[in-house]
Amino acid sequence: MTDTATSGGAATGRPDASGRVTGLILVALPVAMVMTMIVWPIGLAILDTLWLPGPDGTGARFSVASYRFFFSDGYSLGNLWITIWTTAVSTAILMAIAIPLSIYLRFRTGRAAAVVQALAIFPLFVPSIILAYAFVRVLGPNGMVDIILANIGLPRIRSPYLTVWGPVIGFVWDNLPLTVVILLAGLSGVSTQAVEAARDVGAGRIATFRHIILPRIGPSILVAASFVVLGLFSAFTFPYLLGPAAPEMMGPFMQRTFGDVLDPVQARTQAVVTFLFCAAFGWFYVRSIAANRRRMAR
Amino acid sequence: MATLTLQSLGKSFGTTAAVTGVDLVVGDGELVCLLGPSGSGKSTVLRMVGGFEGPTAGRVLIDGQDVTHLPPERRPTSMMFQSHALWSHMTVAGNIGFGLRLRGLSRADVAQRVDAALDTVGLPGYGPRRTDQLSGGQAQRVALARSLVLEPKILLLDEPFASLDQHLRERLREEVRDLQKRLRITMVFVTHGQDEALALADRIVVMDRGRVQQADRPDRLYRAPATPFVAGFIGQMNLIAGEVAGGRFVQGAMVLAAPVADGPALLAVRPEALAVSFGTGAGRLHRVTDFGSHAVAEIDLPEGTRVKAHLPEAPDAAPGMPVTVTPRRHTLYRDDRVLWVSDTAPGAAPVAVDA
Repeated sequence: MTDTATSGGAATGRPDASGRVTGLILVALPVAMVMTMIVWPIGLAILDTLWLPGPDGTGARFSVASYRFFFSDGYSLGNLWITIWTTAVSTAILMAIAIPLSIYLRFRTGRAAAVVQALAIFPLFVPSIILAYAFVRVLGPNGMVDIILANIGLPRIRSPYLTVWGPVIGFVWDNLPLTVVILLAGLSGVSTQAVEAARDVGAGRIATFRHIILPRIGPSILVAASFVVLGLFSAFTFPYLLGPAAPEMMGPFMQRTFGDVLDPVQARTQAVVTFLFCAAFGWFYVRSIAANRRRMAR
Repeated sequence: MATLTLQSLGKSFGTTAAVTGVDLVVGDGELVCLLGPSGSGKSTVLRMVGGFEGPTAGRVLIDGQDVTHLPPERRPTSMMFQSHALWSHMTVAGNIGFGLRLRGLSRADVAQRVDAALDTVGLPGYGPRRTDQLSGGQAQRVALARSLVLEPKILLLDEPFASLDQHLRERLREEVRDLQKRLRITMVFVTHGQDEALALADRIVVMDRGRVQQADRPDRLYRAPATPFVAGFIGQMNLIAGEVAGGRFVQGAMVLAAPVADGPALLAVRPEALAVSFGTGAGRLHRVTDFGSHAVAEIDLPEGTRVKAHLPEAPDAAPGMPVTVTPRRHTLYRDDRVLWVSDTAPGAAPVAVDA
C-alpha cells in the first residue's frame, strides 16, 4: 500500500518536472534567436561606436566622439529631424484616414462597404517597391494626374515626387491596410448596441466617437501607431525612391554612410541613435499597454 | 402625456419586406407588447420608433408630431436593448449620467438624478461600481435607470430579459410593470414569449411575416383569435383542416354544425374545450402526461392529425385505446379570417362572425 502511494506521488510529480523542462525547451529557441540575432549584434554595434581607435589609428579606447560628431553635425541632425517629422506627419495622416475608415467599415454593411474594404486592404498584398513605382506613374512628373490635367487644359501639379511629401504619401498608402485591420479588430469589441445606446441617450456622431468608441479602441490605436512609427523610423524603400536627396531619412542615410561614404562607425552611430528612438517609443508602448491592462483588471 | 401613432409603417431591405402596413395607436401610459416569432418584424417596428431604422413607407408620430425622419438622439424615446448595452469603460453612475452630461446638467444635478434613478430601480449605492461587477439582472436594471433618468415620453424595450433565467425574468417583468404603472410612462415592449406578453401588456400586437395579425387585449387574443396564426401562437390550439358541406364541418369521423357557405375550413379547438371519452371511437390514444394539476392526452385522429385534450386527472387508459373527441367550443377559419364561432367564451366580448 505504501509503495503504491509512494509511486503514485512520484507519478504525480513527474509531469510537473517534465512539463517544466518542455516549457524551457520551447522557450529556449526564441530566446536563443533573440539573443544571437538581435541582442548580440546590437551590443556589438553599441560597443563599436564607443570603443574607437586613438588619433593615430591604433589602441582602441572608450570614446563618445562618434556621438559628439552626430549631434554636432547639422546634416546628421537635419536627417534625424526629417525622419521624426516624416514619421509624425505620416502617422497623424494615417490615423486621420484609418480611424474614420475603420468605423465606416465596422458599422456599415452592404456592397459599398465591401468594395471600400477591398480597396483599403489591397495595398497589403503589393510590395512597397511596386507601390513606389505606381506612385511615380500616378503623381510623378508626366504621371497620370499630370496627363489628365494637361488634357483638360489645367496646369500641372507640383509633384510630391522627390520632396518630403513623397515618402509621407507612400507610407500612408503602404501602412493603411495593416492599420485598418488592427483598428477593425479593436472596433469588433464595440457592439452596435453600445453605439445605438449612446445615440439613444442623445449623443451625436462626434460625442459617440469621443465618449464611446475612442476609449474602447485606444489600445488598438496605440498598437497600430507603434507598428507604423517603428516601421517608418527605419524605412528605406519609400525614402530612397520617393524622398529628396537631402535631407534624407535615417534609412537611406545609414546605407549611404556605410556603402558610399565608407564610414562604418558613423553608420553604426546613426543606427544606434535610430534604435534608441525606437526603443524609447517601444518603452512608451509597453508602459501604456501595461497601464491599460491594469486599468481593465481593476 | 405621450401617444404613439404608427401610420402604414413599412420597411423593406432590398426586395425583402420586413414590415408591411403597420397601423397602431399606443395611448398615454399604455403598455403595448409586440409579440411574434423570430423574423416577424416586431423588433424592426420598435427600431423604427426609436429611429434606428428608417421606414421605407408610412409615418411615426409622437404626440401628433411627425418624428419619422429624426435621428435617435432627437427623439423623445429611450430604448432598452436585449444585451443591456452598458458601456464597460464607465461606472454605473457614468452610464446613467452620460445622457444628462450631454444635456449640460451640472455635476451636482447629474449625481442627484443618477442616485434617484438608482433608487427607482432598486440599486441604491451602486453608482461607483464597474459594469462587469453587476449580475445580469442588475445590468438590466442599470440599463433601465439609464433610460428612465432622461424621462423619455416613450420607453422602448427590445426583449430586455431574454438572456436572463426564468425566475429573474419573471421578477424583473413584474418590477417593470409596477414601475410603468407608478410612473405612468408609455411603453412598447418587444417579446417572443407569450407568457411575458400576457403578464405585462395592456394590449398585445401579434405580428407575423411583417404584418399585424391582431392587436387586442390579452384575454381577447386568447378567447377570440382573429386569425389561425394568432389561434396557434397564443396558448395551445388544435388546428384541424376539413371541409364544410351542407352546413356541417366534416373531418373523418368528426362532424360539427357549421352554418356557413360550403368550402374548405380550418377548425380551431383549445385543448380545454375538447371533450374526450375512452373505449370507443375512431381516435387512438397516443400518450397521457400527468402535470399534477391536470393531465394532457395526445390523441391521433384517423386522418393523421394529433390533437391535445386537457383532462382533470390522468385517466386509466393505455396508449392505443380507442377514443372519441368532441369539441365543446370551437372556431372555424377560412382565408385567414374567422368564419364561424360555436359560442362565446365566458367573460369575453361577443366575437364578430364572418359567415
